[in-house]
Amino acid sequence: MSSIFNDVVKADEGEVFDIELNENLLEENRRLAEENKELLKKHGVMAIDIMGSIGAGKTSLIEELVKLLKKQYQIAVFKGDLTTTIDAEIIKRHGVKVVAINTGKECHLDANLVKKALQRLNLKELDLLLIENVGNLICPAEFPLGSEKRVVVISVSEGPYMVVKHPFIFMEADIVAINKIDLVAAMDVDLDQLKTDIKKINRKTKIVLTDCRRSVGIDKVVEALMV
Amino acid sequence: MEIAKEVHEGSITTQIVETVLNEANQRKARRVVKVNLTIGSLTFLNPEQVQFWYKILTKETIMEGSILEIEGKDGTVRCPKCEYEGDFKYVDDSIFHAPIPVLQCPQCDGKVEIISGKDCLIRSVKMLL
Repeated sequence: MSSIFNDVVKADEGEVFDIELNENLLEENRRLAEENKELLKKHGVMAIDIMGSIGAGKTSLIEELVKLLKKQYQIAVFKGDLTTTIDAEIIKRHGVKVVAINTGKECHLDANLVKKALQRLNLKELDLLLIENVGNLICPAEFPLGSEKRVVVISVSEGPYMVVKHPFIFMEADIVAINKIDLVAAMDVDLDQLKTDIKKINRKTKIVLTDCRRSVGIDKVVEALMV
Repeated sequence: MEIAKEVHEGSITTQIVETVLNEANQRKARRVVKVNLTIGSLTFLNPEQVQFWYKILTKETIMEGSILEIEGKDGTVRCPKCEYEGDFKYVDDSIFHAPIPVLQCPQCDGKVEIISGKDCLIRSVKMLL
């Protein structure tokens, strides 16, 4: 195999060579994400990356979105997890196509895994693709997948400082769902403060309050997604 | 090489080491002396953790003992509305203990696009042939 790098600069000191690599390691993921985006666009599929902490309610939100939208749209779901297909099976019960993506030990989905999963779908028959990322408020922000919109789900039960402690994930989020609002009193969390914290980092993001277990606020999420 | 997968400093450093080793092998290098890396300020890579993994992952390879020099690089943005191009706007709230970049145009307040700062670039490698 020939080298992918051409520029070789000879160093001053005898046998030591300086070799210019200019190999951008995160660029490859971005390139694949763009490919995914193009492919989805070509088939008129809207893809949404749903990120958020562990137990915030990402799967519950997806279940609710599927329940609300499946009559109107052809939906598929990618379910990212380190191991198991527990959540994938839960979503499958709603009668939509689910592809489980197990990352092994990796803390996030990447564009390559999504590209592979896309091959399992008949994109011509699809309108909406919901991608549930691995539960993590840090790493998924580093790896675009090719989605049109990025949603971050956080919940009241994570306490009042969740947003300020993880500012970067909110930076590029189109929508932030604050879930489990039924627990506001029990958790003694100030919702206005959470909203202020989010807006401080990303003034343009849309904030929606949800209680996914009781199907509260799901229509508002849809509204925010469709704009 | 299979150990470092559970945090992404681990997996990125694995990629760094694999890329450099591959290049060194193709050139039949005897040893790798130094690797120059640039990490953009918008990545989630902590240089100290990258150094930590580098030491572990280069053990018993021709990269063992080599220097990893990491240079930080600030991000830049472009505003599609007013054509501003340059530094990020930052929120400097004491709660964060560090300025947090926001995607807001410092000139017109519009939403900006990121031009750079998300890179993890192996610029060059010094090797003994």
